[in-house]
Amino acid sequence: MPVGPQHPALKEPENITLTLDGEQIIDAKIRLGYVHRGGEKALENRTYVQNLYLVERVCGICAMAHQLCYANNVEALLSIEAPSRAKYIRTIVAELERVHSHLLWVGVAGHEIGFDTLFMYTWQDREVALDLMERITGNRVLHATNAIGGVRRDITNDMIPLIKKGLKYLGERIEYYRKLALAERTIAKRAVGVGILKTQDALALCAVGPTARASNVKRDVREYDPYSAYDEIPFDVVTSDGCDVAARIFVRIDELEQCAQILEYAVDHLPEGPIKIRAPRSVPQGENVSIVEAPRGEDIHYCKSNGSDRPERYKIRAPTLANWASMRKMLIGGSMADVPIVLAAIDPCMSCTDRVAFLDSKSGKSWSWSYEQLKKYVQKRYGE
Amino acid sequence: MDIVKWSRLKSPWIFHFNAGGCNGCDIEVLAALIPRYDIERFGMILRGSPRHADVMLLTGTVTRQIRDRLIRIYEQMPEPKFVMALGSCSLSGGVFQQCYNVAEGADKVIPVDVYVPGCPPRPQAIMDGAVKLLQKLQGRE
Amino acid sequence: MTDLKQRFNGKVTETLIQRPRRVFITITSDALTEIMSYVTQKGYRHVSTITGLDLGQNLGVIYHLVEANVVLSLRTVVPKSDPKLSTIVNMIPGAELYEREIHDMFGVVFQGHPDLSPLILPEKWPSGLYPLRKEWKVEAIKAELERTQG
Repeated sequence: MPVGPQHPALKEPENITLTLDGEQIIDAKIRLGYVHRGGEKALENRTYVQNLYLVERVCGICAMAHQLCYANNVEALLSIEAPSRAKYIRTIVAELERVHSHLLWVGVAGHEIGFDTLFMYTWQDREVALDLMERITGNRVLHATNAIGGVRRDITNDMIPLIKKGLKYLGERIEYYRKLALAERTIAKRAVGVGILKTQDALALCAVGPTARASNVKRDVREYDPYSAYDEIPFDVVTSDGCDVAARIFVRIDELEQCAQILEYAVDHLPEGPIKIRAPRSVPQGENVSIVEAPRGEDIHYCKSNGSDRPERYKIRAPTLANWASMRKMLIGGSMADVPIVLAAIDPCMSCTDRVAFLDSKSGKSWSWSYEQLKKYVQKRYGE
Repeated sequence: MDIVKWSRLKSPWIFHFNAGGCNGCDIEVLAALIPRYDIERFGMILRGSPRHADVMLLTGTVTRQIRDRLIRIYEQMPEPKFVMALGSCSLSGGVFQQCYNVAEGADKVIPVDVYVPGCPPRPQAIMDGAVKLLQKLQGRE
Repeated sequence: MTDLKQRFNGKVTETLIQRPRRVFITITSDALTEIMSYVTQKGYRHVSTITGLDLGQNLGVIYHLVEANVVLSLRTVVPKSDPKLSTIVNMIPGAELYEREIHDMFGVVFQGHPDLSPLILPEKWPSGLYPLRKEWKVEAIKAELERTQG
């Protein structure tokens, strides 16, 4: 079988090393070094208020989720609660973030299986969600909506008709995507039966988010540990027993529909009142664990406070890390050609420059491809 | 010659490199491709390889880990080559300044031609940076 | 929780219901395997993450288990001079990467772990440099990186 370009001088650590038997993957090793920025150490050297902005930048796609988790954490340590109106506004921005993230993902997944128009459509529609977030928070991405004790900006009455109009449009588009996904043969060909994660594996490997729910694990933080306004808003947890990439696509599309419902309810039931309460700068000694359902799954933060205005220890476990072990399971037994879509199915944050290393178990040859090179191989393989 | 016309004739190839950021900038770069903004109408084409690229679009904090690869990729680009640094992190380290694993600015590692501030910069800002870069490219011609 | 205390009396050193749905329990490190086995049998099989802590002379390791609607944080402490703990990967495979991360950042050795190679620290990271230990200040880490890598 053809061996890709050799890079003997390029002795660089890769995120993933795949051992092959022919085209089948028999082992996968994970190493994540590139994006290590030393964030947790930095959190200890900044005040609680400064950290609001650092925490967001753990991941630009789930920024609101991280910041909300953080704000909830600090508020619990301060024994304060954000006012009701703030909780609803947080829910609205969090669900808009889920909308943007899921649409983004559907577009990227579509692109991976050669369905480029899906990318253009979904990202164009995603702009509606981004516009709404910008109207509410002041920014499209990295919104910084949360303050410790509430939210920074209010949803004013003139925004409401705009939001409702946007939601109506998004609702229609989501229905369109569901029909499209069901009818489109490329999805059936490239996503069904690919990247299997059995339910018992999802449980043993502690998978989270849509990845877990697509393997029939009914786990959604908004249901089992409600925060913000989720205890007052009716919604369903979406699961599927497909256990493959196609199931992950459908779970996200159905979740988009739930988002639209939650958003509509939240906007219609937005309570009156203040959007923020005063929070002291210093946080009394204590520890707390805070969890939220970020678009990609359960996001957990731990905080230890020591009475000062800086955290003693702040730990963040973003949802993607929780799914790497599961992803390894999905890759093993699959074919090389399925690697891009399986990777995309849990984390679209892999850029073209990420490299995948291969080791042929029979010949002992090893080589490394950039993600782009791997995709070219896939295209040839699937004859596109 | 009109910059857009010139650009369409020359079709500069852009290579996008994420040096370890939060992906906020990267999704705005991808957003710039969609019809609403359509950065490609300026003639710039997004490509996956540095070997034939005229321009490197750099996003993210330059971590220690990625520093060597960044330099190697820059060296793979043929002359004349240009670098556009997008977002606070690649400009100065952004919120990750004074972190032990982060270089405070991409220009500490490779030469940068155009800086686009923002966290993240909006698609319009990215296009503005792109046009300034095209002018530089045209000037070099 | 009281059940746990009764069964493992002596090994459970501290319990706290910090707020609704949040339970913190401290146990002695030698009891980790048997207590973890007990709680997994009781249904706590989802480890959300494992947190490492620098407590001065000691290192703390907290296992955050989530089941039904309770977050159970099980904490144990090991001396910094000899930070060893049994792995729980045989009971909860999903803990594998979290233990690797703690090994990277604090230097805790999880005995029986299938692969404690670096997870998030870059290659060529100087050995013995555990970034989240309090004695390693940011400037010191930077200086050490300069010194060993240039």
